[in-house]
Amino acid sequence: MKNFILFLALLVSATSCFAQSQRRNISIVGSSTVYPFAALVGEYFTRTTGNLSPHIESTGSGSGFKRFCAGSGLQYPDITNASRLMTSEERATCLANGVTQIIRMKIGRDGIVLATSRAMPKLNLTLQDIYLALAMQIPDPEKPQRLIANPYSRWQQINSALPNVAIHVYGPPPTSGTRDAFDSLVMEKGATTFPLLRKMKKENPAAFKQAANRMREDGRWIDAGENDSIIVQKLKTNPNACGIFGFSFLKQNEENLQAAALNGYFPDSANIADGKYPASRSLFLYVKKQNSSMVSGLPAYLKEFISQRASGNRGYLVRRGMIPIPDREQRRNSEIVKSMQSK
Amino acid sequence: MEREKMSLLTPSTALRRRYLHDRLFLLAGRLAAIASFSTIGLIFLAILYTSLPAFTQSCIKLPIHFEETAFSDENLALADYDMLVAQALARIIPGVTDPGEKEDLMGMMSPGAAWRLQQMVGSNPKRIGTVEQLWLPASADIDMLRKGKLDRTTPEQRRRLSKRQLKWYDQLNAEGRIKRHFNRVFFTAPNSTEAELAGIYGAVKGSLLTMFITLVLSFPLGAGTAIYLQEFAPRNRLTTTITVTINNLAAVPPILYGLLGLAVFINFFHLPRATPLVAGMVLSLMTFPSIIMASRNALAAVPRSVCDAALALGASRMQSITHHILPAAMPGILTGTLLGLAQAFGECAPLLMLGMVAFVGNIPAGITDPATVLPMQIYLWADNSGQGFPEKTAAAIVIMMLFLVIVNTMVLWLRRKFENSHPHTS
Amino acid sequence: MSLHIFFLMTLLTAIAFQLGRMRAFRIAVRSGGLRKLHSLPRHYGSYTALRFAVPAFILAGLVTLFADDIAMHLVWDNLPEQLRTLPEEQAKLMRQVIIHTSGNQSPPGNNASTIIRAGWQLKQLITIILRLGWTGALLLGTLSAGLFLRKIDCTLPARLAMEKFMRWILAACTGVVIFTTFAILASVAVETVHFFQFVSPLEFFFGHTWSPQMAMHTGQVGASGHFGALPVIGGTLMITLIAMLIAVPTGLFTAIYFSEYASSRRRHVLKPILETLAGIPTVVYGFFAVFTVGPLIGRLGLLFDVETSTESALAAGVVIGIMIIPYISSLSDDAIHAVPKRLREGSRGLGATRSETILQVVLPAAMPGIIGSLLLALSRAAGETMIVVMAAGLAGNFSFNPLKSATTITVQMANLVGGAGTFNTPSTLAAFALGLLLFLFTLTVNIIALHIVRRYHARYQEGM
Repeated sequence: MKNFILFLALLVSATSCFAQSQRRNISIVGSSTVYPFAALVGEYFTRTTGNLSPHIESTGSGSGFKRFCAGSGLQYPDITNASRLMTSEERATCLANGVTQIIRMKIGRDGIVLATSRAMPKLNLTLQDIYLALAMQIPDPEKPQRLIANPYSRWQQINSALPNVAIHVYGPPPTSGTRDAFDSLVMEKGATTFPLLRKMKKENPAAFKQAANRMREDGRWIDAGENDSIIVQKLKTNPNACGIFGFSFLKQNEENLQAAALNGYFPDSANIADGKYPASRSLFLYVKKQNSSMVSGLPAYLKEFISQRASGNRGYLVRRGMIPIPDREQRRNSEIVKSMQSK
Repeated sequence: MEREKMSLLTPSTALRRRYLHDRLFLLAGRLAAIASFSTIGLIFLAILYTSLPAFTQSCIKLPIHFEETAFSDENLALADYDMLVAQALARIIPGVTDPGEKEDLMGMMSPGAAWRLQQMVGSNPKRIGTVEQLWLPASADIDMLRKGKLDRTTPEQRRRLSKRQLKWYDQLNAEGRIKRHFNRVFFTAPNSTEAELAGIYGAVKGSLLTMFITLVLSFPLGAGTAIYLQEFAPRNRLTTTITVTINNLAAVPPILYGLLGLAVFINFFHLPRATPLVAGMVLSLMTFPSIIMASRNALAAVPRSVCDAALALGASRMQSITHHILPAAMPGILTGTLLGLAQAFGECAPLLMLGMVAFVGNIPAGITDPATVLPMQIYLWADNSGQGFPEKTAAAIVIMMLFLVIVNTMVLWLRRKFENSHPHTS
Repeated sequence: MSLHIFFLMTLLTAIAFQLGRMRAFRIAVRSGGLRKLHSLPRHYGSYTALRFAVPAFILAGLVTLFADDIAMHLVWDNLPEQLRTLPEEQAKLMRQVIIHTSGNQSPPGNNASTIIRAGWQLKQLITIILRLGWTGALLLGTLSAGLFLRKIDCTLPARLAMEKFMRWILAACTGVVIFTTFAILASVAVETVHFFQFVSPLEFFFGHTWSPQMAMHTGQVGASGHFGALPVIGGTLMITLIAMLIAVPTGLFTAIYFSEYASSRRRHVLKPILETLAGIPTVVYGFFAVFTVGPLIGRLGLLFDVETSTESALAAGVVIGIMIIPYISSLSDDAIHAVPKRLREGSRGLGATRSETILQVVLPAAMPGIIGSLLLALSRAAGETMIVVMAAGLAGNFSFNPLKSATTITVQMANLVGGAGTFNTPSTLAAFALGLLLFLFTLTVNIIALHIVRRYHARYQEGM
């Protein structure tokens, strides 16, 4: 019994040996598209500089901005990855919460791919096809003056050239920046091929947004979570499904997955870099400059991110599937980081 | 209807039917037992089989020249170790000039090769200027090819390795420069984005730190509560309600504790996310009920006569408990604690909510460092679509099961001891 | 608290114990034998040790916890006016910067900034405060133990004091456990109330559309934000049902075989294995579901030309079923094994076969225990998270086709909350409402189970 009490006392007091300390590592949240790149850079950063590894969560650009803008200080993330720009509304939240010094860095380009398993025939889609397959409401094919609930359940019903396969698409949820980009680059472009919606866009932009961006909710479009690897897994085992995610996930799984061509262009480095592939967009890092004086290694991490061996034309990020940005923009990035380091 | 002849020696049809039922029933029982054991057994055999390749790693033997010109910088970490690897590769496979081809050649090695060199030079700078033949890790694709998991016959544009790389691989193989080594990295390294460099030690350490917090919180508090409720608390409505509540809490799905942890510990008390501290606190909330219930059962199982005898000889209530009841019940209490901890060790549903689904690339040093735990690492790897990760996942499962088997053996041992010391209790 | 101080204090506690004990001995000898003492010498020893340890450890712990804050306060007051009068938000940041710079190893140069110097000061101050505090703790402990040592005499009731203290500690443990549990339950309830300010309970409980991902920012069109939980509840029930269909017959027959047919040696070996299996982490089964069962069902579907989804309810249900088999068989085996032997003997003696005995005598007697175990398994299946997160779907389909994808309460909770840091949107709050729903469900099932088990106990005690 005495031993027991002694043991208890030892256990309880041993915990107080670990006094609470302030966070020492970099905390990163945000886009699931940028996540693998951020993790890879984090690994090189840790190995070469000996700093603590950053803690990287894949939350989606939207949730990332939300947490990033909740305040400055160590309770909040230092960097958020984004696959879209920060909206003015989010910037306002940031400012209201005292996050005043935000640095935006464009780190690369990416194409949103619509991938399928190799078991499915290759899809060659136009933006209009995608809009017709995924929007909740579409113009009535018989009376193009009104919107009806989406009647299509198979790709062939939309376009007879497409395979006779059920429509079943895993896509990003609204918390994701990929969703925003997909909305504006694909869905809205596809919608404006119809005169009714073109007219609507001019006269009533809000209603147009509703019509173009609302995804169907009958189970053909599925808001998958913020982990694109899961979508890849699901596609591997389900030959009929399509998935929407960043180019790097396609590149990592080329032996199992294939991409659909959009408007005749397949997603590859060249088509994405020069913008021929319609769904290409830029990737960003948003850095809280204030936090660089609280967390060691923040500038060093960014330096690693934009270094030639990472983001250069033959860098390890590019091998992973990031499309490099032009030299001019790369130089701009290194100036930003230099100004941070000198401070 | 003709009446059957009755005899005690030859069973009647009805009796035969009854015997048949009896045999069928036994058969069903046997089948069920075999089915349930064999399904789970098969799952483990399958996982074990999948895991085997993860315990070895293909390495390529390279002649590394640690030339002094490469270490011009004061800081050894800044030297270009990739270049050393590239030069070594160029020595064994000469004549590669095209940049694309060079990239392919480098793609046969893991980035870990350069980090290995960095480590080696860092630990012994005298290496600079020497030449060594070193086994360095190959890339995941080469590793998979070596392990027979990559099909050479798939068309080139879908294959992970180019024609050139296959040719070089065959050349190296013929020279005996590719060999599978025991994968030490897997047991000593933290997580990595490259399958061939990913290890479980970071997660295991995270799990151990988490379990430490859970133990420190839940064992004293749980056992103390059990003793108080069982031996001291007045027998009234309130005590009964508390008992019933605790029993009910034992059945609450673990994920709910994650919600609680998020709402209270992280959002209210601002404790750091994804740390063993918070994870341990949440898991100890989850283990309280089972520890309390097991401890109370153990206390109640000690025959009252022991207590009565002590009281009759003049011991106080506290003395009879601390000197007689508690020592007898201790194995039971420890068993309950161990089982509760084992459950907490394998649980990761509540941790999904606490920011532990994250990349952590180093080994946590303390309870306030961001960390992940073993089951969470398994979850993260299971979802990772990269080459070689399914094998790593299976291997991590094997390691986790080993831990659990050890804990369960300890429990068994304690129970046997318990049964022997108190043969009169059932 | 540094480890050195910790060990020093532990050592001093042990010394205090010895001193107290020896003093009690000496007093006993002086006044005519141990019997003259009120308590045993070691009680005096323990109480002296306590007298040392309680104040010393509490003070040292407090100092360790608050040294940083006190030091920061002192450093802050020494800062120039324009820094001290910063608004609270910025002041907080400034303090974090100072703490960060306090990690510097070398003292600042003459021309270092105020902040860096403040960081250095902070580091020095913390060391000083800690040393002072620890010394104080040791002194205080020694003082209190010393005073007690002087007070020791034959009539001092050291044992009673010890016992009172221990009882107090035990009661405090209970209080802490009960309080945290209830406080935390209350917090979930509060968040749920929050949720119902956004969404009416009527829609939540009776709506049949589940699309909780609402727009994140204006200018974006998310899902319509329907929070009808019926499809989610339906999915949970369907997956649970499939799991029970698999697990109940197999688990029960295994239990019967175990308790009635297996030789005691075999039982002795297999039972612990069964219990180990019941404790396998569910993430293992999830892995199995994703890599084996899901694709298998997909392939079977292609074979029979039925459209299946990889994350079909069937795959998740089957794997959860396999997971709860050991659980059911282990608990039911306990219940069947507890049926008194004479019931079986009586039945066999009257000429019943073994299976008749089991079906008509043993099982009815064990039925409440078995039902209890089934209900517990049911609540486990419904609350299972990892398997469904890995193998079940995300879309709330309102269908009862097991080959289609289905979602569950737990999947939705993990999906809505994972990664979110703020609670002000209905979609994150919905997770709390779902959580409360799940809690109520398992609570009800569990209360019924416990009730049945208790009645069974009561009946047995009467019947025996």
